[in-house]
Amino acid sequence: MTELTLDDMRDRLVLAALAHIPFDGWSLRALRHAAQDCDFDASVPERLFPHGVIDAVEHFTRLADARMAEDAEALLSADDKVRDRLFKVIQARLMRWQDHKEAVRRALSVYALPTNLTRAAAATARTADAIWRAAGDRSNDFNWYTKRASLTGIYAATLLYWLDDSTEESVDTWDYLHRRLDGMVAAIKTRQSIQKKVEKTFSHLPGPFALLAQARRLRPRMPT
Amino acid sequence: MTDLTLPAAPDTTDTPARPSVTAGNRIPGDLTREQLLDRIMRVNHAGEYGAVRIYQGQLAVIGRGQHGKTVQHMLEQEVVHKEYFQKAIGERQGRPTVLQPVWHVAGWMLGAGTALLGERAAMACTVAVEEAIDDHYREQAEQLGDDEAELRETIERFRAEELEHRDIGYENGAEQAPAYPLLHAAVKSGTRFAIWLSERI
Repeated sequence: MTELTLDDMRDRLVLAALAHIPFDGWSLRALRHAAQDCDFDASVPERLFPHGVIDAVEHFTRLADARMAEDAEALLSADDKVRDRLFKVIQARLMRWQDHKEAVRRALSVYALPTNLTRAAAATARTADAIWRAAGDRSNDFNWYTKRASLTGIYAATLLYWLDDSTEESVDTWDYLHRRLDGMVAAIKTRQSIQKKVEKTFSHLPGPFALLAQARRLRPRMPT
Repeated sequence: MTDLTLPAAPDTTDTPARPSVTAGNRIPGDLTREQLLDRIMRVNHAGEYGAVRIYQGQLAVIGRGQHGKTVQHMLEQEVVHKEYFQKAIGERQGRPTVLQPVWHVAGWMLGAGTALLGERAAMACTVAVEEAIDDHYREQAEQLGDDEAELRETIERFRAEELEHRDIGYENGAEQAPAYPLLHAAVKSGTRFAIWLSERI
């Protein structure tokens, strides 16, 4: 048998744990059951996740990010618009865990604990980054940050909507996501049109230096 | 009788130990290859962006002076550098520095501020900045392995141009600038601090 890397073991343990989480929550108990299922030693959960359950939850998020990137590659075509790309990527991300909503919900409650707040923020930022990367983002200036910031809100809201969505194949969620992405695109367009108008207004005004030069010309001169 | 002379230390000054693979010689705790490249792309993009802003600031003040053409020429080269890294950081999906708006203003202020002290002070500013960049590019080129040969050669080419800018600064009386040692030290350490920041955030 080939040697598993630590990360391979973490992947397997977390995936095996998903079946136990509806019963035991994200807990050492669930992870120990998972270790049993994978034929790992009983001490493996503590050794793989030394900080306890939050480590396992974080690894679950990283795993979801990685799987999303793999799925996205197969899904996207070159002539998709940005909002369609984002839609497909987020949809693929959520669809993959359709059968494990309870595990996702319980993961969120672990993240919501006050002691885990910084790690929750970091995980959210990583996920927003992963979505934009998977969608093929190539931004090279400050937009990098604004793009991720606006997506964070959209993704978090969609995730919560999806958790409580009981429609078949989560159709309501996809409508909801479409509306959110439309809103984002509309907000960007509004900003651009305002910016254009402001620039147009300012281009008619003389610059500060030109104004100074004009003032010099108008200065009363002593008769010579 | 025992021979007490020590064996000669291997001479490492001429040929820096360049790893054949980027970060191939890292030890635990060092940056991984991805982290190292991410940093290099971020700081170089930020640096060239800042350099463009410095020369633009200088041009706004001394653009019509006797060195206007020289500064314009240096600016054009920096714009080429900036565009290279701007494209590369997008292709590699790297994270640009969050301080970009700061460098936008600070670079211009540095250029215009030193130019207001006189043309020689502007040249002293160029010398100090380019010296810091030269050190920094040399360090980077030593860290990059053969797997990033294209990037390494580009950095070396840019470095040669930065050195040319430094020499232009010396030729145009940088050392006769008022309070040259003070100005030079302040600008150089400021640049180093900006590099340190842009690597990380």
